[in-house]
Amino acid sequence: MAALTLSGLTKRYGGTSQAALHRLDLSIASGSLTALLGPSGSGKTTTMKLIAGLIAPDAGDIRLGGRSIRDLAPERRGVAMVFQNPLLFPHLTVAGNVGFGLRMRGLPADRIASSVALMLSRVRLTGLGDRRPGQLSGGQQQRTALARALILRPDVLLLDEPLSNLDPSLRDEMRQLIRELHSETGITTLVVTHDQTEAVALADHVALLLDGRLAQAGPPETFYQRPATQAVARFFGGVNFIPGTARAGVFDSALGPLRLPAGIAEGAGLLTIRPEALRFGPGPNPLIARVEGVTFLGTQSRIDLLAGGVRLQALTDPDAASDLVRGSDVAVTLPPQALWVLPSAP
Amino acid sequence: MTDRRHILLLLAPALIVLGGLFLTGLGLTLLRSFRYFPALGLTQPDLAAYAAILTTPGFLKSLALSLWIAATSTLIAAALALGAALVLRQTFPGRAFVSFLVQLNLTIPHIVGAIGILYLFSQSGSFARLAYAAGLISGPQDFPALTQDPFAIGIILLYVWKELPFITLILLANLQTLGEDHEAVARSLGASRWQTFRHVLLPMLMPGLASASGLVFAFAFGAYEVPLVLGAYSPKALPVLAWQAWTDTDLATRPEAMAMAVVIALIGLLLLALVARTLNRGERDAR
Repeated sequence: MAALTLSGLTKRYGGTSQAALHRLDLSIASGSLTALLGPSGSGKTTTMKLIAGLIAPDAGDIRLGGRSIRDLAPERRGVAMVFQNPLLFPHLTVAGNVGFGLRMRGLPADRIASSVALMLSRVRLTGLGDRRPGQLSGGQQQRTALARALILRPDVLLLDEPLSNLDPSLRDEMRQLIRELHSETGITTLVVTHDQTEAVALADHVALLLDGRLAQAGPPETFYQRPATQAVARFFGGVNFIPGTARAGVFDSALGPLRLPAGIAEGAGLLTIRPEALRFGPGPNPLIARVEGVTFLGTQSRIDLLAGGVRLQALTDPDAASDLVRGSDVAVTLPPQALWVLPSAP
Repeated sequence: MTDRRHILLLLAPALIVLGGLFLTGLGLTLLRSFRYFPALGLTQPDLAAYAAILTTPGFLKSLALSLWIAATSTLIAAALALGAALVLRQTFPGRAFVSFLVQLNLTIPHIVGAIGILYLFSQSGSFARLAYAAGLISGPQDFPALTQDPFAIGIILLYVWKELPFITLILLANLQTLGEDHEAVARSLGASRWQTFRHVLLPMLMPGLASASGLVFAFAFGAYEVPLVLGAYSPKALPVLAWQAWTDTDLATRPEAMAMAVVIALIGLLLLALVARTLNRGERDAR
């Protein structure tokens, strides 16, 4: 197994002044399951293609287990990629697809056959080896594509949006399978996704790309609890941003003084609290806010609030929201441990 | 029911042309090849015309020549077209101009191309004159016989030149539909460039390549004007032989001409059926 290190990786597509990827530094620990997260156009697919060797970087290096793979042909990198679309070879059977890489390595047919049978059982496709790709369901095709890459035991497995083409009911199953295969094989795996809930549910490490730059990397919780910038907080569903100043464990803003948790840097900043962390009723950091609107969202309700001229948004369970009447005043608390201060936007 | 009537109505013009003109012509050809020709006093159908052509050494030589011409020009054109399509799908400066050049000769009639080949490659043609002027040859007889030659080099040259862009265009359309993602997958699965071409791209292009090549073969096998202009006096290509038999002053050779036409058509049909079967299998496999 091998750690993957990207340093100063830059890619510009012909004629554009803005880099698709700008000086990306990222270390992916050996054997980890990392999500490369970002909206469309953020450079995540570019990063993946650079690692796979399908395109060449303009600057920077890609190292795998200490050696540079930057100038190696795709087939010599030990990197296997599974695309968003399964892209099975239509002229081959399912078994022919799964065994493709081994056949290219020149392995004898009987060894390929036994490896393929084992791999098919691992992705729960036993007995479907003689089918043609077109005879499989979308989920089965995706699992065939996964098996086709995993059978090679690559040093690094790249998965491009592995869940986005699947029905919601199949997503859980596929997510489960990816986690299961990852813990069985220990292959360093990088999953590209645009969906932050998918990233946090799947990966043990997340790297967020925004506009071709690395915005933040770390365990999934940090993106909710300690986002690095307002853009990161917004990407993860943050909506409450209150400008002010942090001093001696207190944040001064239009909402009045609010107690902060320990370890927050002093100075001007943006106070943020996740909408689901706002509490109704008495408690620390109390406020009186007017209810501006109540929107039923299914499993949650969104409450729009106005306090001290500041708009706040809260998410709460619909039962609690049923007491709230538009236009009335309500007691709200901002629990100190749920507060975080972002650097002021430049 | 109304739907069916509607469809029939829409298809009627095409059906009238196909059924009325083509099938009637084919039927008459068949009847006459069986020596049923009341105007000449032939009222008892028999297979004498077929027996006559099959026992003529000239016919078999012509058949062999036509198969040689069709097979060789199809193979060369298909191989070159494959290469051309693979180059032309990439973006490079001047690509539009090269594409234009490749497509240009699609608009030029075969007969015009044939005469051009004659001017350029015959023993008194431009290249022979150049060779003579350069002192490479001492007379027309020293220039290699590339037209009206026994190996039909001139004819093959013309068909390759003329059919290459046709196959190229079909392959380019196929390549565009396929995209390059399957190849990228193959590379990431450890296939080299050559393996990717051999085991992924070529099999995926095969249906298009086979159907385009089948059409080219059937055309090169059955066309008349090119071997007439560029072919040797003997053996003649099959369509030329058939035309000659039909225009013979001896009307008794007409059934033989018709029998030859039927043989040409049968071989063409057989080939198309073969291609269709291969394609069907490919489609079934892909499903």
